[in-house]
Amino acid sequence: MIKFKPIFKNIRVLVLLIFLILAIVSINPNPWREGVAIRTIATNSSANLAGMINPNPTLPPMAKERIIEINDKPISNIIDYHNLVDNLEINSTLKIATDKKLYYLVIRPKTETIVFDELIPKEIIEKIIDPKSNETINVTKTVMVNKTVTNILGPEEIGLEIYNAPTSNIRKGLDLQGGTRVLLEPEEQISNDEMTQLLESMKQRLNVYGLSDITVTQASNLPVYLGGSGKQYVLIEIAGASKQEVTELLSKQGKFEAKIGEKIVFIGGKDITYVCKDATCSGIDPQAGCQPNGNTWTCRFRFSIALTPEAAARQADITQKLDVISENGQEYLSEKLTLYLDNNQVDELRIGADLKGREATDIQISGSGSGTIQQEAMFNSLDQMKKLQTVLQTGSLPIKLNIANIETISPTLGEEFVENSLLIGFLAILGIGSNILLRYRNLKIAIPMTLTVISEIILLLGLASLIGWNLDLAAIAGIIIAVGTGVDNLIVITDEVLTGDIKEIYNWKERIKQGFNIIMGAYSTTVVAMIPLVFAGAGLLKGFAITTILGASFGVFIARPAYAAIIEIILKE
Amino acid sequence: MIKNIYEKHYKVLLVIPILILVLAMFQIGIQYFQTGDFLNKGVSLKGGVTVNILDSKINNDLIEKNLKINFPNSDIEIKSLSQAGEKTGLVLKIDLDVNNDKDILKFKHLIIDTAPNLTLDDIEDNIQTISPSLGNSFFKTTFKSLIMAFIFMAIIVFYYFRTIIPSLNVILAAFSDIIVTLAIVNLMGIKISTAGIAAFLMLIGYSVDTDILLATKVLKTKKGTVLDRVYAAMKTGLMMSSTTFIAVLIALYFTISLEIKQIMSILLIGLIIDLIMTWIQNAGILRIYMETKTINTETKNNDQI
Repeated sequence: MIKFKPIFKNIRVLVLLIFLILAIVSINPNPWREGVAIRTIATNSSANLAGMINPNPTLPPMAKERIIEINDKPISNIIDYHNLVDNLEINSTLKIATDKKLYYLVIRPKTETIVFDELIPKEIIEKIIDPKSNETINVTKTVMVNKTVTNILGPEEIGLEIYNAPTSNIRKGLDLQGGTRVLLEPEEQISNDEMTQLLESMKQRLNVYGLSDITVTQASNLPVYLGGSGKQYVLIEIAGASKQEVTELLSKQGKFEAKIGEKIVFIGGKDITYVCKDATCSGIDPQAGCQPNGNTWTCRFRFSIALTPEAAARQADITQKLDVISENGQEYLSEKLTLYLDNNQVDELRIGADLKGREATDIQISGSGSGTIQQEAMFNSLDQMKKLQTVLQTGSLPIKLNIANIETISPTLGEEFVENSLLIGFLAILGIGSNILLRYRNLKIAIPMTLTVISEIILLLGLASLIGWNLDLAAIAGIIIAVGTGVDNLIVITDEVLTGDIKEIYNWKERIKQGFNIIMGAYSTTVVAMIPLVFAGAGLLKGFAITTILGASFGVFIARPAYAAIIEIILKE
Repeated sequence: MIKNIYEKHYKVLLVIPILILVLAMFQIGIQYFQTGDFLNKGVSLKGGVTVNILDSKINNDLIEKNLKINFPNSDIEIKSLSQAGEKTGLVLKIDLDVNNDKDILKFKHLIIDTAPNLTLDDIEDNIQTISPSLGNSFFKTTFKSLIMAFIFMAIIVFYYFRTIIPSLNVILAAFSDIIVTLAIVNLMGIKISTAGIAAFLMLIGYSVDTDILLATKVLKTKKGTVLDRVYAAMKTGLMMSSTTFIAVLIALYFTISLEIKQIMSILLIGLIIDLIMTWIQNAGILRIYMETKTINTETKNNDQI
């Protein structure tokens, strides 16, 4: 009969138990958790307007907002969600209950507006400052506008991207949950400051385009003086996004063009030296402001930028050839300045006649946003402005980035990898356990040994959840290695303890010391062998190296001493 | 019989590991002169395109034939994805220049034409492209880290034993293990990916483990003859190797990830070679070392055995 009391009084066993409890708290497993977690909320979608906000990507998986009920029907997985959300009627209300709040979403129509060449008269209200009284007065006037027809195409998507609710705080890396990994290589060497700025801008850009759950990190090879290539990379990982979305996004980035007719006047980044972002020269246009327009509101924004002398000269050159026309008592040039973002027209600006042939470096960029209420229009307008500012500014990064590697894993494959890894882990523990039992023919040894192996895995997963690091296939390989060397070390300890007469109590310390001596030798070689890998291969094998090092360290300093104490107590009896 | 040879003729037995090592170095030399590389680089180390296709009905031969006709100069690798012997799909690797959009598009369309169940989206969702410069830099840096890992390991071994011959012996065993495993991997035509290089790194750790165990037992215990100590170490060492074998075989048979499959294949070969390098080479040299050491101490100090 084994006496458990002395085991649980042993300080080494207690240390292991405390760490195990901490690890389990940090993993927070709950395999029966239901519902779907929110990954992304599209800007200006009905979900967004109902008050739902993008989750913070650094939040632990179990703390992410989770949808529990829709229209009072329980949601336990993605299939339930799609059954309820895929066939909605326009203007109906969707009641979404999450573990945090209750939201009411109004389903908006998805429309398409066709613009005809035919002009029709339209009345607009303009705010002007009365020169006599110096007050703002509303003046109604009639202008000719293109005739438009708006067709309703069906209900608009509610703008939610969801995934099955996580059942623990273990973060699955891209390999295991699907997504896209892009490795970008700067065309030339950049300084650390430039790299930080680059990462910031990349993050900002990706966020501006409404993608969350992204990690943008710097990865670099070992510096040249340590024998590496010193190459720098930017590693972007986007969970759940497919390759098309990402490549579209990357190709989307920064292509801002300002044209007069077919001629490019200036482009984002290269031709721009300064983008104003503070309130004095950016924001809602105080002269145009917000206007009701039928059922909707439109707000105009403006911000100033500075052009390079070359771009200014180009502009002067182009405007020189234009004619001056007169409209409503104001003199304009015959063609407009059209702003394009990724080939989509953002705005069209009249050019004042006084700019003809002038090399102006200060330019005002403007545009508009609309919404059903004034506040929404203002919000959209400012959002649009931020987007433009970002693109105009970040386009001006000193380096061109080349795509060095794009890797996409479909969510189905990711899920298969997870199930497969669990199966292998289970079978491996079973196999190792049977082998130990076969060799020692003693449950008193086989059970503590197998439990120690399992506890080493738990410790590793606990740390992974705590520091929020993503488990990918490389990390799983690392776990396999850590477990493998772990078992090897336990065998060394056991064999050392079992040599000679078990009852020779005075020899115990000596033998366990000898066992740990061998273990420390083996441990140090494994750790030093893994260190160079932390810095190699653009960091793609970093996960593997770090898992191996940490796993081995946990084993050597926490789990294996406890095991030695346990078998010492059990076998002495 | 075998026991007798092992116990009495250990000096003759040393010919086996040395011969294997020489043959392996010869193979690697030939490989280098024939291909310019001392290993078969996979797409992740050379640059190119990798596509995972999850379709069990897909015909490997047909796809391979089609691709070979259209890209006669490319290196094409097709492997079935399987789990527990059942085919789940395939992985296609080809060393196309990823900056050549025309070739890449042609490649994608060839796959769709061969596999009517697939759409372009299926391919886009499971594709990986690596530029040749990145592949090359991957190879250089991971290879350098392998060499650095080896040097670090050697320093630790020297620090641990603080005697030259046993330390060199442990390092030699690890070196032979890696070289021979590489030669076998080459002969089997395995194309090594980044994960494969990681496997060689793991091998350093695993092979040194048993060598340290053996050397510690032989040098640092006082009880029994040298042969007794070798046997004691062997009992533990073989147990260690057998559990690792079990884990590696299970992972090899059940995994659906080609990366993990490659890691496990390399480890399996390495573990088998490690048995020879530890228990014949290392043990043999250690025994010779202990004999000369005892003779030396005996001549110096007659009262000490």
